[in-house]
Amino acid sequence: MTLAIDGLTKRFGDVQALDGVDFTVRPGGILGFLGANGAGKTTTMRIILGFLRADSGTVSWCDRDARVWPRRTWGYMPEERGLYVRMPVVDQLIFFGSLYGMPRRDARRVALDWLARFRIAELADRRAESLSKGNQQKVQFIATILHDPDVVLMDEPFVGLDPINVALLKEAFVELRDRGKTLIFSTHQLDQAEELCDSVAIIDHGRVVASGSTRDVKRSTGHQVVRVTTARDGDLAWLRALPHVTVTRPGEDYTELRVDAGADPQAILRAAMAKGDDVLRFEVADPSLEEVFVERVGALDLAERTLATPEVRS
Amino acid sequence: MTDIANIAAVARREYTFRVRTRSFIFGTIALLVAVVAIALAPVIIRALDRNLSERIALYVAATDLAGDPATTLSALLNASTGTSAASPDEPPDFVVTTAPDLAAARQAVVAGDSTAALEIDRGADRDLVFTFYTNANPRSPTAGLVRQATTAIAVSDRLARLGVAPSDQTGLFAPTGFSVAPPDPAKSAPTQSASEMFGQDMLSFGMTILIFMMIILYGQWVAMSVVEEKSSRVMEVILNAATPFQLLTGKVLGVGAVALTQYGALLLTGAIALLLQGEIATVVLGETGSAAGLPQGLTIGLLLLFCLYGILGFLLFAVLYAAAASLVSRQEDVNSIVMPMTLIATAGYMIGVYAAMGLLDIKAGWIVALSQVPFVSPFMMLGRITSGQALIWEVVLSVTLLVVTIVGALWLAARVYAAGVLLYGQRPGVKAILRLVVSGS
Repeated sequence: MTLAIDGLTKRFGDVQALDGVDFTVRPGGILGFLGANGAGKTTTMRIILGFLRADSGTVSWCDRDARVWPRRTWGYMPEERGLYVRMPVVDQLIFFGSLYGMPRRDARRVALDWLARFRIAELADRRAESLSKGNQQKVQFIATILHDPDVVLMDEPFVGLDPINVALLKEAFVELRDRGKTLIFSTHQLDQAEELCDSVAIIDHGRVVASGSTRDVKRSTGHQVVRVTTARDGDLAWLRALPHVTVTRPGEDYTELRVDAGADPQAILRAAMAKGDDVLRFEVADPSLEEVFVERVGALDLAERTLATPEVRS
Repeated sequence: MTDIANIAAVARREYTFRVRTRSFIFGTIALLVAVVAIALAPVIIRALDRNLSERIALYVAATDLAGDPATTLSALLNASTGTSAASPDEPPDFVVTTAPDLAAARQAVVAGDSTAALEIDRGADRDLVFTFYTNANPRSPTAGLVRQATTAIAVSDRLARLGVAPSDQTGLFAPTGFSVAPPDPAKSAPTQSASEMFGQDMLSFGMTILIFMMIILYGQWVAMSVVEEKSSRVMEVILNAATPFQLLTGKVLGVGAVALTQYGALLLTGAIALLLQGEIATVVLGETGSAAGLPQGLTIGLLLLFCLYGILGFLLFAVLYAAAASLVSRQEDVNSIVMPMTLIATAGYMIGVYAAMGLLDIKAGWIVALSQVPFVSPFMMLGRITSGQALIWEVVLSVTLLVVTIVGALWLAARVYAAGVLLYGQRPGVKAILRLVVSGS
């Protein structure tokens, strides 16, 4: 009862877009699919959905080849939003629903329900082109899940939404998950992935560099993070002198440290107390997804590829 | 099952969306007005024309001319256009008046009071000499008719001088027997009159134009609609629900239904206007003219063949237009990518029309062969059918070949479409397209 992606490879001409992509998502889970632009996220999604054929590798859902499942099993929100710009919102939602075999009346009812939930019921009869970008995106999301698919794949669903709408969308994600749906979404905003996803897969250059439960992935580096505040702040020399410790963020509020794998974070607390300072704050945590991502993929790399080649779609 | 349901859903969206667009509604209204205007053209022209007579002032210097030359000229001119001064409802096309003074008659033409002035004089050799004073083109129909009439008057005058009595002259000008027969003795003499044959030429000519317009106009619509879905990126959304084959087929059928709606409305309106032409003429002109009715030679069978070739031709070109359009992502690129097909259609149409009009020999071997080729047969068979050249088996063969080609084109187009719809940016070369078709993804 899982979505299993196993050893996908895909080559476009000279470009090896996918080079052995494996990960699994359990039903009722939300997977964050993380990677820079051009890393292979869209290609992987298109192969899962059967738009593209992989050169090798398999995709299975509930132990059967993904392609044998009826189309209504799948929901897809492509990165490039697409609506019929000159068609009224509710009309095109009914059309999308009818393509998945929904009777038109049911499609209409469900579409109007969702429009009301997203607080855009009054836009039902407006042409899509007259809607704001954020509202178009909400319509796009409704088009994705209108037919109640079991597996929902979304490419960057939060891009372009204001905080209120991000909250509405997150609420919808959680509700779908609680109803046993399986969600996969790609994102650049790693804090959102951390908040929503019980598992993540990090892809780089067509290869999955880390995957599994969010906690396992965060711990996969072996590092730990310590946040410490002492009464005599500003003096970091003693921290820098400690073995297996790197100061990553010297701050006013607290100082953040990275503790190498295998080292004991408690040694820092002991050192602070031995020094005689009052310890106001001491916290041991897993590294954030962003830190894991930076370590696995490289921060500069992410930024460069994101800015320089936004058109690369593989 | 899902195939049919999804094709129907796609076709339904295409149809309801298209027929509600402003351009479709206004375009159809404009076409309906045009069709009514064309169908009622004879009535309209007569209504505009009925008070317009050509006024010709006649100055006769040859006073010894037998009879009244003005009456003779008027009769000759009006006889040639089928009107006569005796007709109660309609004024004659030509009104001839006698002018006492040539200078005044010419001044009247300059002032625009009369159309022309004609001077009849007798030359030194006693033959009649005519001078036609007019601003019109010397080669205009009026000048031609006047020349014919003056020749008749001159011949009559010569005969009178030779001593032939006017009563004997009528026999001399009686029409001769003249008939046309086919060279092949096995064939019977043509039962059609010249006007009937002309009517049939016009019929196949018109039908071929209608088929060509349907293929080019609505084929372009299909192509535009495909690119619209690509450029708005809605393609990827619907691709999750429907296969490229379903999208392609639904789209072609939906636009085809729009085309049939528009054509049905146009043909029906045109037919009604033609059938009511007599009644409308009575109301507008107050005359009991002869009703024109439907074109001669238009049988139910011919109408069905017209629909059949029109629909099959549209389907063939539309699926290829859709496949071609799936390879580009911007509206601006549509025209260049569908150009090869448009050229083939135009070539077939030109040959078909030229053959139907008799500018090419419709019995030539290459025309007969070409009329079986699927991409041009829709433009060529109707001309051969109306002229009675096509045998039943030829019609059956060409339709069969068309259907087979459509199935093949659909298969090919679905593969191109499947590969093309996810291509954005650069247009792929021929090699890349072939590779896509072979690999299927």
